[in-house]
Amino acid sequence: MAEVRAETLPANEWSGGTLPYRVSHRKLGMWLFIMSDSLTFGALLTAYSYARVASDIWPTPFKFSPSIIFSTVMTLVLLSSSLTMVFAVAAAKNRKKKTARKWILATMFFGTTFIVLHLMEWLHLMNDEGLYPFSLPTEWLHRWPNASPLFGAAFFGITGLHMFHVFTGVCYLGVVAARLKKFTADDVEVSGLYWHFVDLVWMFVFPLIYLMSVDFSG
Amino acid sequence: MLEMKENETKWLNRILLALAGLSLLVAAWTVVNYQFRGGTDDLFLVLVCLLLALLFAISPLMYYGKNLKVEDEAEQSEELTQHERAERKESGLVWGGLLGLTGIEVFLAYIHLNPHLMIIILMLLSIMKAALIMAYFMHLKFERLSFVLTVVPTLVVLLCLFAIFFPDSSRLNKMKPPQSVEKVQPEE
Repeated sequence: MAEVRAETLPANEWSGGTLPYRVSHRKLGMWLFIMSDSLTFGALLTAYSYARVASDIWPTPFKFSPSIIFSTVMTLVLLSSSLTMVFAVAAAKNRKKKTARKWILATMFFGTTFIVLHLMEWLHLMNDEGLYPFSLPTEWLHRWPNASPLFGAAFFGITGLHMFHVFTGVCYLGVVAARLKKFTADDVEVSGLYWHFVDLVWMFVFPLIYLMSVDFSG
Repeated sequence: MLEMKENETKWLNRILLALAGLSLLVAAWTVVNYQFRGGTDDLFLVLVCLLLALLFAISPLMYYGKNLKVEDEAEQSEELTQHERAERKESGLVWGGLLGLTGIEVFLAYIHLNPHLMIIILMLLSIMKAALIMAYFMHLKFERLSFVLTVVPTLVVLLCLFAIFFPDSSRLNKMKPPQSVEKVQPEE
């Protein structure tokens, strides 16, 4: 029987060959990480929704100003950072490393803006409202008697983990931008994948945490 | 050897098609027999069966459709710059679409909808946004189909598995003893 080499097999979608997925090992690794990380966020958001449905009363404290305005602007900032990252990846693929670096720095700027806005929102909730991870403000307990005390833990836990991801993303992009000469276009694309994932997670955190808890009186 | 491989593919696709049919039958049987009397539990079972049917059916449908595209790499490399320009335009459009969907979400939050309806609409919009980000920004649309079909269905199924516990949350709330009962009579 004649030997059949992997490269000579028919090139349809399912034939393996030497590169079954036609992606680099770095990209495959990042995708596997993204899959596992999305399960972490999936578990957290499911647990939050579960606690919310199983509670008699869940506070709906987010007024239009400042919470909803802040979180909407944060969404716009994060979406724009994804666009600049797409441009960075495209420039890196075209071997324009200087342009790629500029776009990566723009992405880092948007990421940092997101973190600053988010911290301002956190400080407003802690200092002005009195919300902390393990206790509700007394004013809220008058307004929503028997409200679930899990609100603070769910809010700070989920948004905090997301903010940590944005922070590590900014650091990651910083390393890529600083050592761009040594990195390939593939490395830039892989860092972009992580950044887009952080953006993607916010697309679920924003409606579930903020928009489902809008205070209509505000 | 190639003939053997072709034969093997044919049989595997037939088995997958049979499994898809079986899943559809279970979904139909659940609808006819229980008519959603079990509430969210039945709905969940039907949705999982339909999802499984879809997953099983993808490969055979593609096989029998025989419209697989074979990428021509030589052609691709010639059109690289044009492709890049088109991609940039496309990304801008996707970005605009994502902003639009976010605007709709914020608007929906302020029109006093029934919470159940609102969460369904919000989640559908968020899934649309996630799909746009994954397809265009994360380049999944331009990856090999075998890669996409490895990543996406795995994620969808695993995330759906979390939902198995979910109907318990509303049941838990209903099972709580009423607030007025303060003293429980001890059993003799």
